[in-house]
Amino acid sequence: MRLEDFLLMRHELLLTLIAIIILIAEIFTDDFKKQGIRPLSIILMAIVTIVGFLPAPTGTLFGGMYQATDMRLMMKNILNIGALIVFIQSASWLKSDDNQNKVSEFFLLLISTLIGMNFMISSGDFLMFYLGLELATIPIAALAAYDRYSNKSSEAGIKLILISALSSGILLYGISMIYGTVGSVYFDKVSVAYGATPLQIMSFIFFFTGMAFKISIVPFHLWTADVYEGAPVNVTSYLSVVSKGAAVFIFSIMLVTVFQNIAAMWKDVMWITAAITMTLGNLFAMRQNNLKRFLAFSSISQAGFIMLGIIGGSELGMAAVVYYILVYIFSNLGAFGVIAAISNASGGKENMSDYDGLYKTNPALSLTLTLALFSLAGIPPVAGFFGKFFLFTAVAEKGYWWLLTIAVLNTIISLYYYLLPVKAMFINKAETSIAYFKSDGWTKVGLIICVAGMVIVGFASVIFEYIRTLSFGL
Amino acid sequence: MTGNQLMFAIFGMLIIIFSILTVTSRRILRSAVFLLFVLVSTAGLYFMLNYQFLAAVQLTVYAGGIVVLIIFSILLTSHISEKFEVVGMKKQIFSGLAAIAGIILTISTILQTEFKATEVAAKEVDMEAIGLSLLNYGENGFVLPFEVISILLLAAMIAAIVIAKKGKTQKP
Repeated sequence: MRLEDFLLMRHELLLTLIAIIILIAEIFTDDFKKQGIRPLSIILMAIVTIVGFLPAPTGTLFGGMYQATDMRLMMKNILNIGALIVFIQSASWLKSDDNQNKVSEFFLLLISTLIGMNFMISSGDFLMFYLGLELATIPIAALAAYDRYSNKSSEAGIKLILISALSSGILLYGISMIYGTVGSVYFDKVSVAYGATPLQIMSFIFFFTGMAFKISIVPFHLWTADVYEGAPVNVTSYLSVVSKGAAVFIFSIMLVTVFQNIAAMWKDVMWITAAITMTLGNLFAMRQNNLKRFLAFSSISQAGFIMLGIIGGSELGMAAVVYYILVYIFSNLGAFGVIAAISNASGGKENMSDYDGLYKTNPALSLTLTLALFSLAGIPPVAGFFGKFFLFTAVAEKGYWWLLTIAVLNTIISLYYYLLPVKAMFINKAETSIAYFKSDGWTKVGLIICVAGMVIVGFASVIFEYIRTLSFGL
Repeated sequence: MTGNQLMFAIFGMLIIIFSILTVTSRRILRSAVFLLFVLVSTAGLYFMLNYQFLAAVQLTVYAGGIVVLIIFSILLTSHISEKFEVVGMKKQIFSGLAAIAGIILTISTILQTEFKATEVAAKEVDMEAIGLSLLNYGENGFVLPFEVISILLLAAMIAAIVIAKKGKTQKP
C-alpha cells in the first residue's frame, strides 16, 4: 500500500480532517470567537463538496474492505451536497440563544455521521458496512434530542436510539447467518457462494428487515412520524434526506451485487413492500396537520417510489435511483428549509392551518415551498417529474405492469395532499396569518441552492446521462 | 453424550434461562445481574471453542466493565426499590405468541441446514496473530475497522456532551 492509495479515500479523510479542525477551533476559542465556527464549518464543508467532484482514481483498498468506484464517488458527492445545504439552513437556527453553546457539537456530529455514511457506501464487506451504519445512526439520535428541554425532542432521541438498536440487532442476526452459511463477510465471496437454502433466505429476510427499519419502509415505519415531529427541523431534514439517501444507496448496491443470486426472490419481496409503502404512506399523509409529520409520511411513500428503481434492477433503474435521490435532496430540503425558516421566525408554528394566507405576507417563501411540493409530487416543470418518470420507465422496461399501475395511482393521490399546503397558502383566507419577516442571508442562500437544484437538475439532461454512464460498473 | 456436549448443554440452558429472566424481571437491578450471568455463560462457550483470548475479553470487558457501567447508571438514575408496572394480559399473550412463532421459524430453519464442520483442528490462537491482524491492511486485516471505531467512539462522546450540556438560559 502506497501513500497515493489514500487518494481513494479522500472523501472520508477530508471529512475527518475538517472534523478535527472544528474540534480544535472549539477548544481554542473564547465565547466571542465561537461566533466564527458556523461560517468556518460551512466554508470547510463547501470546500470538501467541491473537492469531491474533482476526478480521482478508483480501486479497492484494505484487501477489498474498501471499494471506490465512480458510482460510489458520485453517491458520496450527492450526500455531500445534501449535508452542505443542511449546514447552511441550520446556520440561523444555531444562532438563537438556546443553541449557541452547542454549535460545534452540532457540526461535529453531522460530519461524523457523514463519515459513517461514506464508509458504508464504500464498504466491501459486512464488517465495514455495519460499522459505517452505526456511525451514521448513533450520533443522529443525540441530535434528535438536541433541544433537551422539550419533551418531544427527548422522546424523538430515545425512540430513534431504541429503534436503531433493535434494527441493528435484527440486521446483525441476519449477517451472522450469512457468515454461518458462507464462511466469509467479504461481498465478493458472499455473492458467489450465496444460494437459496432456507437459512440463507431467512438471513436475507432478517437483513432486509433491518434495512427496512433504516429506510422506513412499511411495515417498519412506525417510528418515523414521531421522530420527525420531535426532532429539530434541521435534524429532521438531515434524517429524511441524507440518512435515508445513504441507506438506499448501499442497499441498492448490495441487492444487485451481494444478493444477485436470489434476485428473483428479493424482487418479489420488494414488489409487495413497495406497493404497501407507497399506498400507506400516502393514505396517512393525507390526514396530517403538522407539516413535519406530513413530510414524514410523504418521505415514507417516496421511499416506496425509490424502491421501484431498485426492482427494475437494470442499469437504467440504478441510474434512476441515484438521480431521484439527487432530486429528492433538493426538493425535500427546499420544503424543510421553508418550514424551518417559518418555525424559527414565528416561534414554532408548524401546522398547516398556520400557513393560511401566507402568500399575502411572505410571497417568496410561499413560492419556494410550492415549487418544492410540486417537485415532490412530480409536476412537470421541476426536476421531480423527470425523477419519477425515469423510475417508472425502469419498472415498465421489465414488465412490472401491475406495480406501475399502483405507482401511478399513488402519484395521483399524492398530488391531492401535496396541494393541500399550497391551497392553504394561496387560497385560504386568514384573519391573522404569519407576519412578514426577513430571512437572514444563510437561509436565503440555502433556499436559492435548493430552487436552483430543482430547476437545473431537471432540465440539464447531462446530469442524468452522466449518472447513467457510471451505473454500468457499480 | 460426551463431556463437551454436556458442557454445551449446560451453558446453553444457563444462557436461555437467564436471558428470559433478564427481560422478564420487574426490578431493573436484578435484570442487570441476570445479564451478568448470561455474559459469563457466553464466555464459557468461548472457552469450549478453545478461544481463550476472546473468553478473557468477554469476562473482563463485558462481564466486568459493561455490567458495572450498567449498574452505575441504574444507581444514578432510578430507585432500587422501584418496580416496573405489570404488563397487561393481552400484551403478554400477543408478545408471547409472536416470540414463540419466531422461535419455531428460526429453529426449524436452522435444523434444516447442514453446517459444514471445519476440518482445521481447534488450536489456541496466539496473541501475536491477533495483534498482527489488527494492524494488517491486507485481506482479513482489521486496521480500517479499528480506525473507524475510534471515530465512532469520538462521535459517541460528543453525542453524550450534546445531551448533557446545560444551556445558557435555564428553562424549567
